[in-house]
Amino acid sequence: MQASFLFNHGHHSIFTAILNGLSIGSVYAIFALGYTLVFSILGIINFAHGAIFTLGAYFSYTLTGGAFGFNGLLANASLPIHLPFLFALVLGSILAGIASVIVERLAFRPLRKRGADPLLTLVSSLGAAVVIVNVIQYLVGSEIYTFPSDIYGRLPASINFGTVERPIAIRTVQIVIFSVSALIVSILTYFINFTRFGKALQAVSEDAITASLLGINTEKFITFTFFLSGFLAGLAGTLVGSSVSIAGPYFGIAFGLKGLGVIVLGGLGNIPGAVLGGLVIGLAEAFVPADYSGYKEAIAFALLFMMLLVRPQGLLGRSVIQKV
Amino acid sequence: MTMTAFLETYGFLIVSMLLGALLGLSVYLPLMAGQLSLASPGFYALGGYIAAILSTQVFPVTEGSFPLLELLLEMLLAAIAAAVLAIALGIPVLRLRGIYLAIATIAFVEILRVLALNLEITGGAVGIFGIPQPFQSQIGYLWIVVPLLGLSMVFLYRLESMHVGRVLRAIREDELAADTMGINPTHYKLLSFVLGAVLAGVVGAISAHFLNTWNARQGTFDASIVYLAFVLSGGSRTFVGPVVGGIVLTALPEILRGMAGISGLPIWLAQFLQDGRLIIFGLLIVMSTVFLPPRGNYTRTVTTMAMAKAAARQRETRETREGSD
Repeated sequence: MQASFLFNHGHHSIFTAILNGLSIGSVYAIFALGYTLVFSILGIINFAHGAIFTLGAYFSYTLTGGAFGFNGLLANASLPIHLPFLFALVLGSILAGIASVIVERLAFRPLRKRGADPLLTLVSSLGAAVVIVNVIQYLVGSEIYTFPSDIYGRLPASINFGTVERPIAIRTVQIVIFSVSALIVSILTYFINFTRFGKALQAVSEDAITASLLGINTEKFITFTFFLSGFLAGLAGTLVGSSVSIAGPYFGIAFGLKGLGVIVLGGLGNIPGAVLGGLVIGLAEAFVPADYSGYKEAIAFALLFMMLLVRPQGLLGRSVIQKV
Repeated sequence: MTMTAFLETYGFLIVSMLLGALLGLSVYLPLMAGQLSLASPGFYALGGYIAAILSTQVFPVTEGSFPLLELLLEMLLAAIAAAVLAIALGIPVLRLRGIYLAIATIAFVEILRVLALNLEITGGAVGIFGIPQPFQSQIGYLWIVVPLLGLSMVFLYRLESMHVGRVLRAIREDELAADTMGINPTHYKLLSFVLGAVLAGVVGAISAHFLNTWNARQGTFDASIVYLAFVLSGGSRTFVGPVVGGIVLTALPEILRGMAGISGLPIWLAQFLQDGRLIIFGLLIVMSTVFLPPRGNYTRTVTTMAMAKAAARQRETRETREGSD
């Protein structure tokens, strides 16, 4: 079966599919890392994460000097600056991180102080997502925005990985996305496992009360986690936006739901799991035959669904025994 | 304005409000057993497609209005289909708790949406148009919707005061405790889940006719948020909450639009009331969860800090694991 599969596709298209899968999968991974970091510390799903993703994309677009369309309060407005893409990416993501901290203060902290059911926080984060998406729509309308084509400077539009006779062209965007994501995952892995701060973060996620008794400022870590989570969402949003386009204020919601598939697949709150889940779903989507491309959007949810039924703790998660 | 003129003008809004109340109830039913299910829009979409396909492709074309009997038949079939699907879905999914259940139901709704977008019978991305009308005007739908809402409310009133209602409440307060008291939680959770699904399916069948067209944008994740907001803003301790929430929140955009027309209002405020309705809607969802009195919530509010409890559970798990080594 494997052989006929290879035969049907031909070698170079397999190679292209793998690279495309890794590229989109790595974006899923950094997006899902943001989800899973918050879950590992607070045991809640932040549904505003997809909205922050959108927000980050719009921030970066604005910072590169992109103008807005004809609708909304900010019609035809644009910043007088034209930041290079990499600066816009970082700054836009920082702004997304700040937005995420604001969401935490307004929609999460009051409930946490009250010791409310985690499900209530879920609903409150849904409300925050509705607010963010509609504020964007109110300000800049629901047009599709495309980043300028020259954001990568003098880099060619695509790079040939094959020979002259049998070219395997990969879009430069894909390579940039994969490189940035791989870099972020590496930095984050180092940061969480080998720094004092990262170890404290792990301690908070393992047992918040004990961590605070041992002198760790839990609230500070929660704030930082939300910043980091928003930053990662902003990065993912900008990368996806620059690869395709910003498809209106709602474009992060669908992505956010797919991100649920990623974190459930890897194990809720499990950091290596989010990376694995992202790559698995990215690759699975890349191998959908063109005739069935319409069903591509369902793959993440089908995997999520099966995972929940077979192994709710995810690929890399450990099961929790519930006691009375 | 005479009564008839009023009904003609606001027919669409009035029927929409009552449909909103019914959808609120469909989310409330699983919540009675403490289950946060976001699957209602999926069953709503299913019911709508059943009605749309039957009335445009299966039933013979009739002169004049669409026969009421055929509408009732569609509603019945939608109810049966929703019930079958809900049982098939609910048996595996209801083993999951809390957040996992919510996520699984979101995945279910998304899978149905992708199917609707791609299948031929559902009309793909375009959807199904020209669904025939059983009434001369939209206000006529009250003949169907008012009895349905009335029956549902009576049913829920009876349910809440009966043994079953008390069992559902017991499961909502503490599933493990209920289990040890000899109650089979899965059985009752499935019951409330299926009832919610049936209601959503029937409302979908009516809505397909009412809206005249049906496509994959009906019953999506956004809809889950809206229905949930119906229940939360109205309150979830009794069935009255979702009914009031559904009516008020469906009317809210229209009320805000109406307020925007009041003279003497600053231009920017009028503009905001008109175009920023959904921002207000989202703020209402956040505020209703943040400021709601602890006991008015739909699930059990933990008296001790949720974090302390989660930490304790993890500690116990660790001890169990170490103990078994």
